[in-house]
Amino acid sequence: MPNIVWMQAGACSGESMALLCADRPSLENLLQQYDLNLLWHPSLTADARFGQVLEAITSGRQKLDILCIEGSLMTGPDGSGQYDTWKGRAKIDIVRELAPLATHVVAMGTCAAFGGVHAAGPNPTDCTGLQFLKDQPGGLLGADWRARSGQPVINVAGCPAHPNTMTKVLAMLAEGEMLQLDTLNRPAAFFASLVHQGCTRNEYHEYDIEDEVLGGRGCMFFSLGCRGPQTLAPCNTELWNGHSSKTRAGVPCFGCTSPDFPSNRDLFVTPKIGAVPKFLPLGVARAKYMAYKNLARAAAPERVINREMEP
Amino acid sequence: MTRVTVDIDLNRVEGDLEFQLDLEDGVVVDARCVGTLYRGFEQIMIGRAPRDSLVITPRVCGICGTAHLYAATLALEQIAHITPPAHAVLVRNLCLMAETLQSDLRQSFLFFTPDFCNPLYAGHPLAAELAEAFAPLKGSVVRGCLKSTRELIGIVAIFGGQWPHSTYMLPGGITQPANARRLIDTRDILASVRAWFEQAVIGGDLDEWLALDSAEGLFRWLAASPARQRSALGLFNRFGRDIGLHKLGAGTGHLLSYGVNHRPDGAGSELPAGFFNADTQQVEPLDHLQINEHVRHSWFLDYPGGRHPWAGETIPDHQPGSDRYTWAKAPRYGDKVVQTGPLAELRIAGEPLITDLLASEGDNTWLRQFARLRRAGWLLNATVNTKKQLKMKCDEPHFIDPKIDVWPDGESVGLVEAARGGLGHWLRIKDGLIDKYQIVTPTAWNASPRDSAGRHGHWEQSIIGLTVPDPENPVEIGHIVRSHDPCLVCTVHFIGSHKKTHFNV
Repeated sequence: MPNIVWMQAGACSGESMALLCADRPSLENLLQQYDLNLLWHPSLTADARFGQVLEAITSGRQKLDILCIEGSLMTGPDGSGQYDTWKGRAKIDIVRELAPLATHVVAMGTCAAFGGVHAAGPNPTDCTGLQFLKDQPGGLLGADWRARSGQPVINVAGCPAHPNTMTKVLAMLAEGEMLQLDTLNRPAAFFASLVHQGCTRNEYHEYDIEDEVLGGRGCMFFSLGCRGPQTLAPCNTELWNGHSSKTRAGVPCFGCTSPDFPSNRDLFVTPKIGAVPKFLPLGVARAKYMAYKNLARAAAPERVINREMEP
Repeated sequence: MTRVTVDIDLNRVEGDLEFQLDLEDGVVVDARCVGTLYRGFEQIMIGRAPRDSLVITPRVCGICGTAHLYAATLALEQIAHITPPAHAVLVRNLCLMAETLQSDLRQSFLFFTPDFCNPLYAGHPLAAELAEAFAPLKGSVVRGCLKSTRELIGIVAIFGGQWPHSTYMLPGGITQPANARRLIDTRDILASVRAWFEQAVIGGDLDEWLALDSAEGLFRWLAASPARQRSALGLFNRFGRDIGLHKLGAGTGHLLSYGVNHRPDGAGSELPAGFFNADTQQVEPLDHLQINEHVRHSWFLDYPGGRHPWAGETIPDHQPGSDRYTWAKAPRYGDKVVQTGPLAELRIAGEPLITDLLASEGDNTWLRQFARLRRAGWLLNATVNTKKQLKMKCDEPHFIDPKIDVWPDGESVGLVEAARGGLGHWLRIKDGLIDKYQIVTPTAWNASPRDSAGRHGHWEQSIIGLTVPDPENPVEIGHIVRSHDPCLVCTVHFIGSHKKTHFNV
């Protein structure tokens, strides 16, 4: 029966709450169907105190199959880790002690993966992710660190991480699968689609019908800061809470699965060169994109120009 | 007489909670609520574009991000004199109520009732029934709660795209209108959650239960049918009162609420804001200028007395081993220690049953938890009513562009009632950018340390005097503290100085 420990560091509980929203599989079904034993979760377990769980694992009496970390790793002030403690002990020291004992270590959310919202300028807590600080390899454990499985920390990025991505990753690990990871150590099975794919505003993007003001039906990429065409995440290929996604609801994608989330610029404004976004859809050449957009606009049907189409 | 100090850490709260207790012969003679985490949001906010608060501040809290989004939006609307359309206000209210309702249900059955399955109670006559209902992740009520809350929070996703952490409110309205499809989905969800609530939580008809207006009436109603006796509420009542939760854990009697359901026309809220003064037993109008924060027992550079959030100063000054013990500040209303949350909300609104229970038994652990279930019932009706009003507004605008290129300089405040009580965002804009952002969360009120006059915070008061037979299994403390619905992740302050600043628990 594989054991899971879920530990919170500098966190808002967003991943813990998202975990309760997972529906395929749900948390309770995951634990039951995959015979997983949740030894510790700060919000959910009642059998043992954290100190008892910690002692059982570090003494070798209890094996640790999957260690999930939620939240940024606070190293400040002055490397002491005293900005985030458990009974006076720095959480980063506890993570450093537990991680080598785990078969798999999973960073649940962008904070644990890359530093996240707490690492936004000026990074007042000197926080970091487990193996990255933003897109720079290193982090708390170092770029070369490997879990007992031989894999680095698996980065289930997102702010918060997508509910079903978390439970599916745990299901795959429980079944003994070796996960394929991308260059940022995110599981490829969930990070090989763009937020743009499946966005219900795609037709507006296709014909270059762009909104200048929030609250409309058009595409938000050119002016409103949407990063859907650049952001790898499952949001529009597996909907949130069984219903929708931010871009479908008219909220720009802020790129929360990316290492630089949240960016330091105005989050609701797209930086441009001339009339065209400075940052183009992933991998696209500027000259060809401009040519395509000019043609696309010319081909736009009235129903799209008039924003008759409901996202 | 032996005096010992014990450190107690508690889970099944949001975030990390530690208490230091001084025990004399097993009785708590002093309690210190310790904040253990600093996240530094305030410095991150300074110098950013004002609307970025709509993306950053919901991330203060994974469980009440909608409340933070709402407060941030109100602060921006106040500073620029923007009035949102009724359509938008109703959608905001509906989503905030859905979030509060899921929080109340999860807090009750994932955080609070698991303590009823503590090994200490294994010999209790109700032990088998309690385990069947409340065993962590397995009990029948727990499984139903997981399913119902998952459905319920889908309402926020229908209107806002996702939960947690979306940004669908903005100054001037919301990003996406309500329409027939979304409202039918919402109605279906609310009906299904209500059916579960009636069957599993109260064991009877919701409207009948909500009509009960006295303690005596409540106990009579619960005793009158086996279904009600067996329900989650019935078990909570029978077991909770048998172990004396109604005589345990009185904190401050002063109550604070910022009001529930802002009216679309801007004229107050459905459950009114106010301050209940326990000395006079009167509800006074809310005046946010009465709010001030102290740092005398926190790890910050001292200043005399308390300061309003707009005038706050927060310079870290870590002094382990001194009489300072937390990274949290001590908010006070005037010179009063207050509590905030569903009990305060319903008492200030004059809800008859809660008013009667509070008058007859005073503040206690059972009542705080009961008030949370009572509010859940009230919300089940209020959400349906809001949805009906919304149906009439679908053809009106959901967003009116305020056409702001540069945000005006000034100060403002956004106040909402989050699941755990009053939440305030205080904002200052200078040269079109955020110059200062300070948040006083519900848990900051409830979990506050002593202030400059030495007055203990609400939780501390609720524990002092308690007998703790076994510090290794302090189940009594678990009951009391969890009845306050602690959210430690959220107890974060924002400060506008350019110094290294402010800490949170």
